[in-house]
Amino acid sequence: MNTKKKVLVACGTGIATSTVVVERVERLIKENGINAEVEQIKISEAKGKQEGADLIVSTTMLPTTYNIPTIIATGYISGINAEQLDEKILSELR
Amino acid sequence: MNIEEFLSEDFIWLNEPVKSQLDVFEKVSAKCQDKGFVSEEFLEKIKEREKVFPTGLQLDGYGVAIPHTDPECVNKQFIAVFTPEEDVSFKRMDDSTAEVKVKIIFVLGLNQPHSQLAMLQELMVLLQDKEAVENLRKTTDKKQMIEYLSDLSKQKQR
Repeated sequence: MNTKKKVLVACGTGIATSTVVVERVERLIKENGINAEVEQIKISEAKGKQEGADLIVSTTMLPTTYNIPTIIATGYISGINAEQLDEKILSELR
Repeated sequence: MNIEEFLSEDFIWLNEPVKSQLDVFEKVSAKCQDKGFVSEEFLEKIKEREKVFPTGLQLDGYGVAIPHTDPECVNKQFIAVFTPEEDVSFKRMDDSTAEVKVKIIFVLGLNQPHSQLAMLQELMVLLQDKEAVENLRKTTDKKQMIEYLSDLSKQKQR
């Protein structure tokens, strides 16, 4: 079964860094033919939205723990180890 | 929209003597409030947000910071550019227990979520360019700073 996965992309305010990461993750999903959707959120909303989602990708530190996998993606902003982040995200969604 | 449209000489500080990030926030907030770009809560909000979700970025051998806060306290969008006389400490975005010394600070006054992608991408690419950051750091003229940032963002688009 290839059910559609859901990725939450979070930052502190849901306005700046997550905008950049959403675009990157959406492109990654498309280029790799993965059946997934992306939602941009504030990290404070992650706790309430984790149900029904498969992965949290955050540019900031996580204020709490979650029931689903999480990836800190500050590397997409700093450019350091961005390709490794691509691989990590893909391996969670495949 | 590209970076140029968010910049104004009113919101540029070059080689400014400051002791801490608080000095930076106070200077930027006072000016932006005076010009009607932010509400009076802006200073408290940006301090609070920086404490909970810091915005210092450790790049390859140098640091930058991109403080920003809730859209509700931004009336009109802007980017303030601040180069401190001496590096200022910020907590790291990916690890608030670690600090980074930053050479340049971009205060992002944004109020439209899910937009400004092009401008934000330009800014991130620019921050990752060590030579560009060094050159920005050395700039002493506000007009030149705006020209330099616009030129850089145009180059990045190509």
